[in-house]
Amino acid sequence: MIDFMEILPGRQRLKRVYLTLILWFFGRAIQAAARVDHGVKSEFAAMPGHYTFCLGAFPNGPFMVVGKDAQGRVRYLGSSTANRTIHLHLMFKSINLLFVTLTLQESTSTANARDRLFVSGDVPQACAVVRVMDLIQVLLLPKFLAKLAVKRYPDWSLKRRTLVRAMVYIRAVAGH
Amino acid sequence: MEMPEYFEFCGRVNLVAGHDALEQIPGLLLSMGAKNLMIITDQGVSRAGLVEILVQSLDSRITVRTIQDEVPPDSDIDIVHTLARRYRKNTCDAIISLGGGSVMDTAKGMNILVSEGADNLRAFTGAGVLKHRLKPLIAVPTTAGTGSEVTQVAVIADPDHGRKLFFTSHFLIPDAAVIDPRMTLTLPPHITAATAMDALSHAVEASICLAENPLSTALAHDAIDLIRCHLPRVVNHPDDPAGRLALATAAALAGMAFSNSMVGMVHTLGHAVGSVCHVPHGACMAVLLPHGMTYNYHRTQTQLADLLLPLAGEEIFARTAPRDRAQKAIDQVRQINQGLHLATAGAHAVRLKDITDKNRQILVPLHRLPEIAGTALGDGSIFYNPEDLEYDDCLMVLEAAFHGEPLDRSSIRKG
Repeated sequence: MIDFMEILPGRQRLKRVYLTLILWFFGRAIQAAARVDHGVKSEFAAMPGHYTFCLGAFPNGPFMVVGKDAQGRVRYLGSSTANRTIHLHLMFKSINLLFVTLTLQESTSTANARDRLFVSGDVPQACAVVRVMDLIQVLLLPKFLAKLAVKRYPDWSLKRRTLVRAMVYIRAVAGH
Repeated sequence: MEMPEYFEFCGRVNLVAGHDALEQIPGLLLSMGAKNLMIITDQGVSRAGLVEILVQSLDSRITVRTIQDEVPPDSDIDIVHTLARRYRKNTCDAIISLGGGSVMDTAKGMNILVSEGADNLRAFTGAGVLKHRLKPLIAVPTTAGTGSEVTQVAVIADPDHGRKLFFTSHFLIPDAAVIDPRMTLTLPPHITAATAMDALSHAVEASICLAENPLSTALAHDAIDLIRCHLPRVVNHPDDPAGRLALATAAALAGMAFSNSMVGMVHTLGHAVGSVCHVPHGACMAVLLPHGMTYNYHRTQTQLADLLLPLAGEEIFARTAPRDRAQKAIDQVRQINQGLHLATAGAHAVRLKDITDKNRQILVPLHRLPEIAGTALGDGSIFYNPEDLEYDDCLMVLEAAFHGEPLDRSSIRKG
């Protein structure tokens, strides 16, 4: 029997660091927007209480876990999926595919159309989470970048484009 | 045709189509190492005598352990759980689903449970959750529309939680789809029309939505061509076996196409209308299809223009200036609907307000459109639609479809 040298897959450290940071900030931004943006608020209002979802890359992450508690408060729950009941998984098939989407090389809808992710859980809630992701991207990114991420850039009021956006940024940085 | 940068296509169903196709079933089962059969169907199919035709086509090598004909018009999780218990009790090793979309989806759902050794179907909802091959399943469609006999999708209602469960997996594609025109000969003209328009809507959306790809489009165009050539004749001469075979084949082709490139807003809204008002799916599709094409016109002009050839034939395609072909394709769908409306003495609806029950009561009242628009936002097909769709957009399209007025293209918000 011939011995072969074992080839280990690349660890892609830079991509992992980038994605971990983006997902960390994204999660905090969701928590912030759920308090100050009416669009995000109403998406979460329609979700059941005690509901947790996870976005990440299969199989080893990074992950972002967000949950809504019984009182309706939305919280970023960190990057670990261990010891948690997760009701909805949005899992990109590899770290590379998550990287492509979170570097805006591919919009969320294109990633979905190209079958880049597994969805495990209720479809209506998955639809709501994808809409939340689109809203967060519009809130966080300048228009020329956000247009790469969403199908149709929304026509928002001045207040939402400025004040709400600033509040989301401040709260996401502060972790409120 | 533009090549997408990336696409996936899975079409591994064994399609067996022809005038004596049912007689191939014993060989198919034995080739999969199965001989103890459960037949799943509904009472309408049973009453129409189609179960007997199927059973007579089997031979002594196959044992029909049980025939279950209790599938309701809207497949639900309770019947799936009940059937799974009966499958195990009767020590079956293969399933034949004989019926329309509801029967097919019930059989797929039950197959998940008996193959995974599970008791709760809710644990398997979503896309890509299944990781193993399932038990042998042969699908025999008795309508020519849903295409469920070749798709990787199942939709099953969960009445306890007031929601629909969606399952998507390559493992849900039946091992074989057996298309035999004897199974659709008894369909009345208005159901033939509605189910064929369902197949047409699959083919059109498969060609224009975000996951379109060359393989899906090729299948979709062939499906449309078959529908155009055979539907008018079959509606007027329902006992035409060649036409029935062509329509059933078209439905399977369209099913294969949309199983891979998925569908968009016509189904987003159609599922919501069906869910809120319990309207037959095909009737919704027929009404909504031209509106969905118009809504997406600015993003899909090239694909719509290409659709004119299978929708209208060579002569009209060649006579129409390239810049007019997309709009002409939409007009052609309206014309097909109008033709079916006349051929069925008005039974084929062309507006939402024309869809009625047996007592001529309107099934989709105007005041329920806001609820339908809200429900539509939770349908997964919304993400495959080329143009974005929010609540107000859904409501605008539904109102136009209710009154039968073409959408004003200038009022559509463009991304």
